[in-house]
Amino acid sequence: MIPLMLPAVSDAEKPFVTRLSKNRTDSPWESWCIESSESQSVFSGENGLFQIVGPGIQDLDGDIVIVTPAAGNAERIIRAGSTQNSLLVTERCDQLCVMCSQPPKKTHHDRFGLFVQACLLADNGITIGITGGEPTLYKQEVFQLLETVLKARPDLKFHVLTNGQHFETSDISQLRQELFRKVVWGIPLYSNDAAEHDEIVAKTGAYERLHQSFDTLLLSGAKIELRTVVLQTNLNSFPALARHIAGLLHFIEQWSVMQLENIGFARNRWDSLYVDFRKSFNPIAQSLDVASLFGIPTKLFNVPLCHLPEFHRNFAVNSISDWKQRFGEKCLMCSKKETCSGFFEWHPAEMLDEVSPL
Amino acid sequence: MEELDGLPNLRSRTVSDRHIFANEEGRFFKGQHDLLSRIGSNELSDQELKFLQKRHLIKSSKLVKHASLFAQARRKTNVEGLEYLILVPTLRCNLACSYCQVSRANENAEGYDWDEATLGQITGLIKQFSGRSLKIEFQGGEPTLRPDLISAVLDAGSHIPDMTAVICTNLQRLDEEILTIFNRENVQISTSLDGSLITHKAQRTQDDASTSQFERNLSLVLKRYGPGKISALPTVNPNDPPEIDSLVEAFVSRGFTSIYLRPINYQGFARKQHPESIEQSGHWGAYYSKFIHRLIARNWDNRDQVIEETYFSHCLNRIFKPGLDRHVDLRSPNPVGVDYIVVDFDGKIYPTDEARMLSRSGIIDLTIGDIATGWDSPERRALNEASTNADDPDCQNCVYQPYCGRDIIDDISRYGRIDLRRHETNFCKRHMSIFDLAFSLIYSNEDAVQYSLRHWLGLSGDSITLGESI
Repeated sequence: MIPLMLPAVSDAEKPFVTRLSKNRTDSPWESWCIESSESQSVFSGENGLFQIVGPGIQDLDGDIVIVTPAAGNAERIIRAGSTQNSLLVTERCDQLCVMCSQPPKKTHHDRFGLFVQACLLADNGITIGITGGEPTLYKQEVFQLLETVLKARPDLKFHVLTNGQHFETSDISQLRQELFRKVVWGIPLYSNDAAEHDEIVAKTGAYERLHQSFDTLLLSGAKIELRTVVLQTNLNSFPALARHIAGLLHFIEQWSVMQLENIGFARNRWDSLYVDFRKSFNPIAQSLDVASLFGIPTKLFNVPLCHLPEFHRNFAVNSISDWKQRFGEKCLMCSKKETCSGFFEWHPAEMLDEVSPL
Repeated sequence: MEELDGLPNLRSRTVSDRHIFANEEGRFFKGQHDLLSRIGSNELSDQELKFLQKRHLIKSSKLVKHASLFAQARRKTNVEGLEYLILVPTLRCNLACSYCQVSRANENAEGYDWDEATLGQITGLIKQFSGRSLKIEFQGGEPTLRPDLISAVLDAGSHIPDMTAVICTNLQRLDEEILTIFNRENVQISTSLDGSLITHKAQRTQDDASTSQFERNLSLVLKRYGPGKISALPTVNPNDPPEIDSLVEAFVSRGFTSIYLRPINYQGFARKQHPESIEQSGHWGAYYSKFIHRLIARNWDNRDQVIEETYFSHCLNRIFKPGLDRHVDLRSPNPVGVDYIVVDFDGKIYPTDEARMLSRSGIIDLTIGDIATGWDSPERRALNEASTNADDPDCQNCVYQPYCGRDIIDDISRYGRIDLRRHETNFCKRHMSIFDLAFSLIYSNEDAVQYSLRHWLGLSGDSITLGESI
């Protein structure tokens, strides 16, 4: 696992954003390494000297970090060469999903200013994720961040994970702007049955509200990635959900069907939530077939290839980010390892061997 | 029953005693014969109402209304710039098939190839092409008579990231120069194979020497490149069609799993030598249906291999999936001179290959421009104003309209006019019969039928119900 938060020492008064550089640089937005060993590096820049403990400069070169002196840390917010960078804009949320991988917190620290600076420094052409918590609890700030960054950096793209509870028809004129074509909204929908969806997200009326947002987003020409985590509670609704999508939500860019992550709330509820695809794949197979029949682009996330029947393996994507990807020992013998998602880093060690090398 | 807003605007058709209903997006289901009148008089059963609501066929919310508008728009062809070039480097040919679609020229005739200026204009057009993807099809005449012209065109497109070429050839000539072109990774070979060699000889090659030359060369390219690089298309005389199994076997034994069954086109020589092809009477429909059923039986008997009829698979897929608008024979609107053009041996530009043949035969001049001066012409605009099924009153009431298309060139070719009642045209009759066949199969209870249909639709063989019923 690649560490994203590193201990750091700095005398600066406030948190700051900078790009780490191996070579001397005159850019006010970069800090250059003046000393490095295998366990720490010292940098010099506009905000004075600071030290980062952990990997040496070879691993940090080009990373964009937020250094927070008071907390004594440096956060690798956009890593050089990585295609999977996310900005956690808030930890607050107005839903409490039964399987939440990142349970919400009540406190919120506004770091939008730092995020904007970090995005402006990003490598050319990358996609930056925005996650939470629920980012659209700070909808105006999120919209503002997207507008500011995309106006200055039309080469960038954004992927925003949102529960879709806060879009209003009054947002349409803003969202219709050309620059929002660079934004994909990743939105979860767990069932075509309103009560079942509401129960999974623990919010009454969430399904109805979400569908109002879908209308707003459709009228805005927004790009939507619909996401559905497979649970024991919604497994049997999948074929009907697929027909719901084909009949009503066919304007989405992609439907992402996701296997459960063993983290957050799901960790303690694993036995009552997790669906083993090797034993119960039929409803998923049907829903994939319905979606592909009606031309809905559909992908399967976080599923090792050997858990799938051969016909449906081409729906699977190697989806788990490099910094949190893990394989079992048996996987070393597998001929498909290169194209397989593997498991999440936090997948229980005793379950890593639930594979059959291909 | 409560009063409902947005009751569905359904069209209906009875196919094999089944009552099919579809809305303007092309979403369909099977229901009771009197459904429409009961919608009108507000007498739907709870079960019917629930089905229509669950399938979002009742426009009960803004989202349903807007999503429906979006779905209707997606059924309309969406093309912007050029992505497909059909090129005729020479009109000369080394065969003289009885139904040749063009007024071909003799192999030794002069003045039937691109001249230097025309070649320069075509390679200039390709060199300036700035899109991502371009498909080039070499037609004839027999393009392999001029490998130098083919190579010059391919070299001009070397900057295009995704360029593919198809060379339509009778495979009579196959020497090192031709093989060097075929060796290119982005080159596909397309040929005609009318079934057994006896049929092929009777309809095309005429003599034993040419027939065995063709067979040797087809085997050679198949062995050298595999069936993935080659497609073969049979032309069928509807009044004397080949025996189905021997036709299928001619393809399957060579490793082809897609067969594109084409009736003799009412074009070129065929107008004189096969005048009956002006109307593809019931013969063709009956043969076609028998052919599809035979494939279904074969696929069920041998699960290792799924054989398809290319056009039927395409029509079937269009029933379910919006946006399949790159097959220019079946789409609406069907804009001409936008995403594809045909450049003839003399640099003249035609909207389609059929239009080129009509013009060559002296029926009507359908030139829309030439390579020297361009093709954004009044002629093109005139054709495009009519090239849609959207405003046709017959089509507006047809359950198949969202899946179907418009081919005004075919109308002009057969009838000399485009304002016939739609259902009197060959295009309409042919597609009504294909879609009727498709729907009778979609609602068939036979496992064998469902198995083939699912595979033709790209699904696993044993999974879902294709046609829903109230």
